[in-house]
Amino acid sequence: MNIAKLSVAGLLLAAATLSHAEALLKVSAIPDEAPTELQRKFAPLGQYLEKELGMKVQFVPVSDYAAVVTALNADQIDMAWLGGFTFVQASQRGKVVPLVQREEDSRFTSKYIVNADSGISKLQQLKGKSFAFGSASSTSGHLMPRYFLQKQHIKPEAFFKSVGYSGAHDATVAWVSSGKVDAGVLNASVWDKLVEAGKVDQSKVKLLGTTPPYFDYNWTVRGSLDKKLQQKIQQAFLKLNAANPEHKAILDLQRASRFIPTKAANYKGIEAAAKEAGLLQ
Amino acid sequence: MLSNSLHDPARASRLAGLIATPLLLLAAMAYTGFNPLLLADGDTAGTLWRFVADFFPPSTDGTFLHDMLRETATTLAIASSGLALAVLLGLPLALLTSRALDRDTLCGEAPARPWQALQRLLRAMLIVLRGVPDLVWALLLVRAAGLGSLPAVLALGLAYGGMLGKVYAEILESQPREAAAALAASGASRLAVFGYALLPQAATELISYSVYRWECAIRASAVMGFVGAGGLGLLLDTSLRMLNGGEVGSLLLLFAALVALTEGVSRVSRAAIHSRAGGAALATGTLSLLALSLLWLWPQWREAPFDVAGLWRFAQEFLRPTLRGDFLVQVGSGVLETLLVSALGSALAFIGGALLALPASNRGPRWLRAPVQLLLNFLRGTPDLLWGALAVLALGLGPAAGVLALAVHTSGVLGRLFAQTLENTPPDAEAALRHSGAGRLACLCYGLLPQALPQWLAYTLYRWENNIRIAAILGLVGAGGLGQQLYLALSLFQLSNAATLILAMLLLSWGVESFSRWLRQRLG
Repeated sequence: MNIAKLSVAGLLLAAATLSHAEALLKVSAIPDEAPTELQRKFAPLGQYLEKELGMKVQFVPVSDYAAVVTALNADQIDMAWLGGFTFVQASQRGKVVPLVQREEDSRFTSKYIVNADSGISKLQQLKGKSFAFGSASSTSGHLMPRYFLQKQHIKPEAFFKSVGYSGAHDATVAWVSSGKVDAGVLNASVWDKLVEAGKVDQSKVKLLGTTPPYFDYNWTVRGSLDKKLQQKIQQAFLKLNAANPEHKAILDLQRASRFIPTKAANYKGIEAAAKEAGLLQ
Repeated sequence: MLSNSLHDPARASRLAGLIATPLLLLAAMAYTGFNPLLLADGDTAGTLWRFVADFFPPSTDGTFLHDMLRETATTLAIASSGLALAVLLGLPLALLTSRALDRDTLCGEAPARPWQALQRLLRAMLIVLRGVPDLVWALLLVRAAGLGSLPAVLALGLAYGGMLGKVYAEILESQPREAAAALAASGASRLAVFGYALLPQAATELISYSVYRWECAIRASAVMGFVGAGGLGLLLDTSLRMLNGGEVGSLLLLFAALVALTEGVSRVSRAAIHSRAGGAALATGTLSLLALSLLWLWPQWREAPFDVAGLWRFAQEFLRPTLRGDFLVQVGSGVLETLLVSALGSALAFIGGALLALPASNRGPRWLRAPVQLLLNFLRGTPDLLWGALAVLALGLGPAAGVLALAVHTSGVLGRLFAQTLENTPPDAEAALRHSGAGRLACLCYGLLPQALPQWLAYTLYRWENNIRIAAILGLVGAGGLGQQLYLALSLFQLSNAATLILAMLLLSWGVESFSRWLRQRLG
């Protein structure tokens, strides 16, 4: 019976500690890279925001893109790093406010990659091969490449032998490099990062091409978040300056030269592309 | 008078079955593109082996092990509280729907029409609850109401509640009727008949089945993370996507340990029911486990409160299934693919199970028995979704991988059941043949198999009913079928499409169940 008593005592203790709430900003991000990488990227930014906002900032890891949209719409998180498409989804399903984007996000691109053994050097040669997008909800890993492929009269499901969704950009590289699929497409920024870090085996994966540019990622808050806090968050991002070494470290991890204000209208093009590609009704 | 004819009276139907089955299976192989020879292909095998070789050594990275411990606790807590919810849901439904408590069965009174209508409605509800795979419930709840372990608990509660409701009702119906009839005749209420007549008779069976379901719940909650609903599946999903072999290796070892542990606990618990002290210990243990589970999960639930408004909005969008022609064609091809994957996978598993059952039972060489049994445990204990992911590495994306995954996993399940059948088969026929000078093979073919075969086929058909649901979710890891379409629809918030897909899954699972029941009756 001791265990039962102990559990009751534990429950009471837990209830007592939990009722003591404090100011907390819950932040998440679409899992476009491995969870450990997301945490690593966020850590210094989180500390910076804690200092600037004077409140605790907590990173909530989430397993898939759509779950971030649901959580933001359900007020389960306060702020999220969204892609262009997930932002459009979130604003369709609830009230959300985009605050800032990286300067790079206004001319973002995707890279087509191919397994080196396949001997393929042109997009058209991928007919009848297997192909991987990133997450189905990804802008740079799915929506925009699909849109641009359609512009070239390539309907993925008919053109490729099979179409898979790796779930994340770094996973797409792993899939192509292992031969699990013949080719794939991913976020240019993640591709560059993986190449710079020497994490791409160039003997196994070759670059095939680049898409035209489009608008992508932003930092978005839930609409019901206190307006003053929204402004403070935006200011904190805009203040990040590459001349300051401490800031530079944060910006480098985010792969940003600087942050600029953004507005919902910037993502109208994404919305139109999503409708045309049949991913949005 | 016996007929003089030397012909088998059932010859026509047997011959038809013997010719039709392989033809149908060959057609299924062609459609799914499953070719066993591909496994021997250097490229495919190379991709798979490079990954599998990475399993050793398993990852011992500090953060990863820490995450693994935490998620193990979450998995256990989800399974325990999910099963508690299922009992809370299933028991009342069983009491309301079981024919063993109906006054018309017990004392011949004419049943009231509204009551019968209500029962029919509740039974239909139970079918829907268990017809939708638990993983699909979780996927729906995650989309509707957000993150965390709460959707997983609710999903288990709903799916297992439907299952427990049916099985509890059937257990009550299989009890001797005298005591219940006597009480009912003297005017006792439904609840009183249950409490004083049927519960004392059926208690051990009810508890024993619930404990077995807890064991299943642990395996189920270990993969809930694949759809974002917390627990170990989250880690496994990530490790598989990133092709991190070492991490997968650690997780596999953990799964094996977890399955062994729960099977042990389950065996001890089922033995404990029979004594008063054992029963008390089991009750205390269950309540403590439940309290600890809720205590562990509570902070997560508090941080991510359930979004009731979201659930409502979701239901409104969801309850309008898409019935557009072009979409229905797409769903139809998904249905066909799922059906063929499940049928072909189960049929191949019949062969695999039969080949493994001989050495695993007391028929083969003694030294081979233990390793084959270990292999069967491994095939069975590794989650089906993991087999799916590995099969995709070997055969590439698509339905062929689904066939392979089902065949491998189900061989483990059937191998064990088949071996049990062999051990329970009376040895007389075989002995008679041996004494009359028949060889080993002849003894096997004419003495043993004819006795074991009907039971084997029945097991395979049962398993097929289960496999149709697994085939429907293997698409989550890229192994073909309806699963990938459903995951896409839910990721893109195309909820009316998702509704159609789930309806298709329900119809498919109901259709296969009916067909399999019909076949089993004809065979038995």
